[in-house]
Amino acid sequence: MTPFRAMRRGYEARFEPVERIVLARVARDVADMLREEAGLDLFDDGGEPGLSTHSAPGKGQAWANGLLAPDELTDADLARLTGVTGVGRIPTDPAAQRLLPDASKDDTEMAAEFRRLTQNDVAQAKVSRLEAFAALLDLPAGDDAPSPVGRHGAPPPVRVPREDAEAFAGALTDVRLVIAERLGLKSDDQVMQLTDEIMWDRQAGREIPVATDGRAARRFWSGVFVAAGYAQETLMDVMLAELRGRRHLG
Amino acid sequence: MGSAGTAVEEDTEADLASGVADPWVTIVWNDPVNLMSYVTYVFESYFGYPRAKAERLMTQVHKNGRAVVSTGGRERMEVDVQAMHGFGLWATLQESGARGVA
Repeated sequence: MTPFRAMRRGYEARFEPVERIVLARVARDVADMLREEAGLDLFDDGGEPGLSTHSAPGKGQAWANGLLAPDELTDADLARLTGVTGVGRIPTDPAAQRLLPDASKDDTEMAAEFRRLTQNDVAQAKVSRLEAFAALLDLPAGDDAPSPVGRHGAPPPVRVPREDAEAFAGALTDVRLVIAERLGLKSDDQVMQLTDEIMWDRQAGREIPVATDGRAARRFWSGVFVAAGYAQETLMDVMLAELRGRRHLG
Repeated sequence: MGSAGTAVEEDTEADLASGVADPWVTIVWNDPVNLMSYVTYVFESYFGYPRAKAERLMTQVHKNGRAVVSTGGRERMEVDVQAMHGFGLWATLQESGARGVA
């Protein structure tokens, strides 16, 4: 991966094909996790108001002409009936809790109210930008292309249009937050130490193992975490420089 | 863009002068993952703070574990907290008179 640079049509960096594939994959996984944890799918099944659209066992047996019995009404049904869609399910996954945190440390009532009012919007926005991030990283010739070749024999760069850059950086943040949670990174020191180890391995030319179990998996995700951090750090450098330049002129 | 954008010390002066306080604050908490450059970018782009102020607040978050990043009415602070969560920063709101607000 090369640093992001400011170009005429956006910010550009060269990613290895495997970096693109892995980051797109993990972004989609995070989007799916968020959708599930926030209960977004409850509001997105295209059901008509009041009609039974449940498939869960023991739920949604049609009552009379397809309407649910009152005691079978779920939050989602109420949402469809009333137009109030801000019912926030409290995430149980610690990573989702980090992406959709409490808005108060000691006032649980306020935190619950805030969640009810805002969580769907925040979660939906995150899901959308994670999916856009993944789409932007998808290799042009499709998932199976091992190494797409550009005009000069090199892989085409990742190009982030300026208007999408903040969302791209936000998606990188969410991906990094979730991986850090999975890796159990709790302190600045732990993150620094892990980053040093990965960078040391890179300089020593050691390959990151592609594996999904045990220590190799940890090593793999550490590498993804550091790569995402590198992408974000270099993107922030150019975005901050341009933001300050604009403000200086304005 | 962003909220009133007044620093805490400025508010204190305003309070003394007018007797009217901004009753709520938005607090951003430190986390080991978010990059200092990203946090600074958020403070500059969302709140419209000048570079020096954004960097001072970022350093405060990093070193002290938290910083008051905006003050104002409750609804305005709810907007700011929601925006911070959108950016991936952990933010909370509370009444400015509450214990623990620096």
